[in-house]
Amino acid sequence: MEITQTKHGDILVIGPKGKLDANTSKMFEDRLMPLIDQGHKKILADFAQLDYISSAGLRVLLMAARKLSEGGGKIALCSLKPSIKTVFDIAGFSAVFSIFAAQEDALTDFTK
Amino acid sequence: MPTKILVVDDEPDLELMISQKFRKQVRDKELQFDFVKSGIEALNKLKANGEPDVILTDINMPEMDGLTLLARLGEQYPLIKSVIVSAYGDMSNIRTALNRGAFDFVTKPIDFNDLEITLKKTIQEALAFKQAVKDRDQLLSIQQELEVARKIQQSIVPRKFPAFPERKEFDLYAEMIPAKDVGGDFYDFFLIDDERLGFVIGDVSGKGVPAALFMAVSKTLLKATALKGAPPEECLQQINRILHLESVSAMFVTIFYGILNTRTGEVDYCNGGHNPPYILRAGRGIEMAESTGGLVLGAMRNTAYKAKKMTLQAGDGIFLYTDGVTEAMDRNNEQFTEERLEERLKAGRDTTLPNIVSHVIEAVKAFSNGAPQADDITILALRYLGKS
Repeated sequence: MEITQTKHGDILVIGPKGKLDANTSKMFEDRLMPLIDQGHKKILADFAQLDYISSAGLRVLLMAARKLSEGGGKIALCSLKPSIKTVFDIAGFSAVFSIFAAQEDALTDFTK
Repeated sequence: MPTKILVVDDEPDLELMISQKFRKQVRDKELQFDFVKSGIEALNKLKANGEPDVILTDINMPEMDGLTLLARLGEQYPLIKSVIVSAYGDMSNIRTALNRGAFDFVTKPIDFNDLEITLKKTIQEALAFKQAVKDRDQLLSIQQELEVARKIQQSIVPRKFPAFPERKEFDLYAEMIPAKDVGGDFYDFFLIDDERLGFVIGDVSGKGVPAALFMAVSKTLLKATALKGAPPEECLQQINRILHLESVSAMFVTIFYGILNTRTGEVDYCNGGHNPPYILRAGRGIEMAESTGGLVLGAMRNTAYKAKKMTLQAGDGIFLYTDGVTEAMDRNNEQFTEERLEERLKAGRDTTLPNIVSHVIEAVKAFSNGAPQADDITILALRYLGKS
C-alpha cells in the first residue's frame, strides 16, 4: 500500500492510502513502529485517502498508541471517511483516540 | 555467507589452480573451497563439517570413485548439487554420472573459464533449490498451524442443536464457517441459573494460532465470569483487565454479551466493540440494538463498560453476527454490507432460526460468487418464545 509521510514542525503526518486490512496492515505497522522507535513523539494519522480499515488496522493504531504513551508521545487521527468513522464508533475507538475533522484542526491541537 | 564448494580430486595440482583462479571470490568471501582426495574423505568431511552447496568431483580416484560418491550423495544429501570432472570424450561415465543425479560436468584438461561458468550455473541452481525447499517447509508448517487453529476454534464452540431441548421459552441456533486463514470468531451460550440464559458472540483481531488461542482464552474467561452471575458490564470489565495482560502486540477481541431473562423476555447486554446485533420483532420489522459505546476488550487496561436493556416479546429474536458476514467480498472487492444483511433479515425474519441463519449464509455465498472467504463467518440467532 502507498503511505505518504510529511513533517509539520515536530509533528509527523502519515497517510495510508486505500485499504488497511489483514493484507496491508503489516506494511503500515512496519512503517509506523520504527518511526516511534526513532523517537517521534507526535504522530498524526491522516486518513483522508483511506477507504477501508479492518480490525488488523485498528490493532496497529492501538499498538502505536500504547508505544507512544509509554514514551510520553501521542497519536491523533484526522479526516476519517464516514464508513471508517463508523468502524471506530463500533469498536469504541472514537472514545480513546483524538479524532479531528481536518488536518489543520489536529495540527493546531498538537501545538496547544 | 560464502557459497561452499567441496572439491574431490586426487590430483595435487588442482587445489593450487582453483585457489589461484578463484582467489578474488575467495578473498571477497563469495566462495569457500574445501579440498579432499577421495569419495570416502568427502563423505567424512560432510559428516564433520556439514553440507556444502556444490560438490566438484573427479571420477577416477582411489578408495571410492566419483560415481560411487554420486550414488551415496543422492541417497543421503539430496540437496547438494554436484559437477563431475571427467576425461574428455568419456561419454559412458558422463552418462552414468548424470543418471546418478550430477547436475553438470566439465572435462579434463580443465578449461577454467568453462569451470567458472559451470560452477556459477550450478551454484544458482543449488541456492534456488534450497530456497524452494525452505519455502515448501515453511508453507507446510503454516498449513499445519492453521489446521491447529481450526481445530481449536471448531472444538470450542457448542454445535449441538437444539441446545436446550427441555426449555420451551427460547430457541437458539448458531453457525460458524471458518476462513482459510482462521480468524478468531466464537460464540457461546449457557444457563446461568434456572431463569437466565447468557449468550455471547466475539471476534478476535488477527488470524491463525495466536488469534485462536486468544479466542479460547476470551471465551473461557467470559463463561467463567458470567456463570458467577455478574451483570454484563461487570463481566466485560473484569475480563478486559485480564485480557489486557494477555494481549501481546495489541491483540484485542470484540464481545457482545447478553443475559436473557427467560421469564420476562428482558435482555441486559453490554457491547465491547462488536457489530451491534439486530432485534427481529415478530411481524413488525427489524431494529439495531442500541449501542452501549464500549471499547474492544484487551485494548486498554482501565475501561468502563455500560449495559443497556431491551425487552423481547414472545416471538421476537436477536440476530448476532461477526463482520465476516457484512464484510464478505465479491470478486470486485465490493462488500456484502449491512444494507444487504438487513434486506435478508426483513424478508425472512419470521421463519425458523436455522432458516434465517442459512438464508443469510446462502445470500453471502451467492454474493461472494466464488471470491475467497477472507474472514470467519459466524452467526448466532436467538428467539424468545415466551413463558409457556
